[in-house]
Amino acid sequence: PTGDSWGIFTFLCAALCNLPALPALNCSEELGAGQSIQQTYDLTRYLEHQLRTLAGTYLNYLGPPFNEPDFNPPRLARAERVPSATVDLDLWRGLTDNARLAANYRAYSRLLCYLRVLDGQVGTAELRHRLAHFCASLQGLVLSIGGVMSSLGYPLPAGPAGPPAPPGAHAAPNDFLKKMDDFWLLKELQTWLWRSAKDFNRLKKKVPPAVVTLRLEARGF
Amino acid sequence: DSHIQYERVGADVTMKCGSMDWDAAVTWTANGTDINESRLNGSYLILKNVNLSQSGQYSCYEGSSWHLKYQTSLRVGMPPKEPVLMCRSNNYPKGFYCSWHLPTPTYIPNTFNISVIHGTKDMVCEKDVIPKNRCHIRYLQLFSTVKYKVTLTVTNALGKNSTTLTFDEFAIVKPDPPESVVAKPVPNNPRRLEVSWQNPSSWPDPESFPLKFFLRYRPLILDQWQHVELSDGTSHTITDAYAGKEYIIQVAAKDNDIGTWSDWSVAVHATPWTEEPKHLTTEAQITETTSASTSSFMAPPTTKICDKGTVVGSGAVAVCWTAGLVVAAYSVLFI
Repeated sequence: PTGDSWGIFTFLCAALCNLPALPALNCSEELGAGQSIQQTYDLTRYLEHQLRTLAGTYLNYLGPPFNEPDFNPPRLARAERVPSATVDLDLWRGLTDNARLAANYRAYSRLLCYLRVLDGQVGTAELRHRLAHFCASLQGLVLSIGGVMSSLGYPLPAGPAGPPAPPGAHAAPNDFLKKMDDFWLLKELQTWLWRSAKDFNRLKKKVPPAVVTLRLEARGF
Repeated sequence: DSHIQYERVGADVTMKCGSMDWDAAVTWTANGTDINESRLNGSYLILKNVNLSQSGQYSCYEGSSWHLKYQTSLRVGMPPKEPVLMCRSNNYPKGFYCSWHLPTPTYIPNTFNISVIHGTKDMVCEKDVIPKNRCHIRYLQLFSTVKYKVTLTVTNALGKNSTTLTFDEFAIVKPDPPESVVAKPVPNNPRRLEVSWQNPSSWPDPESFPLKFFLRYRPLILDQWQHVELSDGTSHTITDAYAGKEYIIQVAAKDNDIGTWSDWSVAVHATPWTEEPKHLTTEAQITETTSASTSSFMAPPTTKICDKGTVVGSGAVAVCWTAGLVVAAYSVLFI
């Protein structure tokens, strides 16, 4: 029954998300934050490209109306647990580098989480393979962002706070709503990747490679 | 009192002479010209299968007194066909604009009403003064997962029609073409052309939202274009131009990550540098230079004589003063 599997899903998610924050890569400090930002930017573009194929296949697997190009459903309240990239224009502009990076880090960590659970549930082998590949790349992105944050001296955001929700709390009551959840997950992922390209463009301009050396000197390294 | 009457092309129109009875004796005029009685049915004017040329002022006069009993302005037209709507963001991330037009004219006044829905929110699209059929919207939020739905309704006295566009925020991003495209030859390089341009002025934030560019060029004598895509910078040097051939060059822009390419910029023409042809003999060189130097001492007829700034060299001054005296002498004679 769907209730049980969704309970497992929420539990798994909580467990995976409470893993200790991934350590920053030492090599990024040597490369300089500027170059790491460029690499992270490139990764988001690569993932965006990958997602297009993955989403196409997955939506076809879900079937109509999810795979129709002008499918434009209203946003249900239950979909809010997937982190949204949507942000007020002035707020986005005014984000500090730390806040900007942290928002990306948190979002992708959670999205990765949800995707991994999805991976365990899908039907076809082809889809499982694609999802696994995508998850691996997304993991790389999370690591990359973490690396940039560490090289700039920012602390990595902690995992989601609070105890895991009781099993079945977020379960979709029927098959259609479960598919809607999947649809929104993919949509948010797509939006985040497109937002990240802009986030990292902004960071690129504000953090040239030379800055990192100065920062390290200032901190007495 | 005066009326306006709208009728469809091809319709049959019956005009009554106000409150006059059917059997009253009346005269109808169209734009001041009397209408033949054969078109009347009693005091009613019958116009069958009206066409556009029949639009005008129709007046009805009482038979004997010539009192004006009724007047109407007939406007023949058509109900609107489905309008053509286009939305585009050339100033991302500020907002977007939508513009529209009718595929065929209706010949009568039309009202346009535009509505923009974003998820559950109704947004106001502010109408532009110029051009008329255009409105713009400011984005309140960026990176939205919810699509925008724009509905345009066109209404006139004979009917209405509408069209709807649904799109994602990033799908309609299309910058204006690059500006100030300049192509110059490179001295001592017969196969090079230096091209430079500027970001379109409508693009508000190229720092955070950088543009990438697409350059195309070909010699005028060939049809096939060469293409270069440039991910940053607003200049490029063509290094494989055919020596001595005039080139046509254009540039297009696109947001680095989203949307579509702009239209091509205004075309610029340039020819690569070519070496000056050498002089054939030294004698020819000498005669050239001497004739050149003498001609410079003659004041050209179109310029002012003795404009202080242009006087250079004693010889020229002498000529200048002489000319001045001559002019002074003549002017004294004519006073």
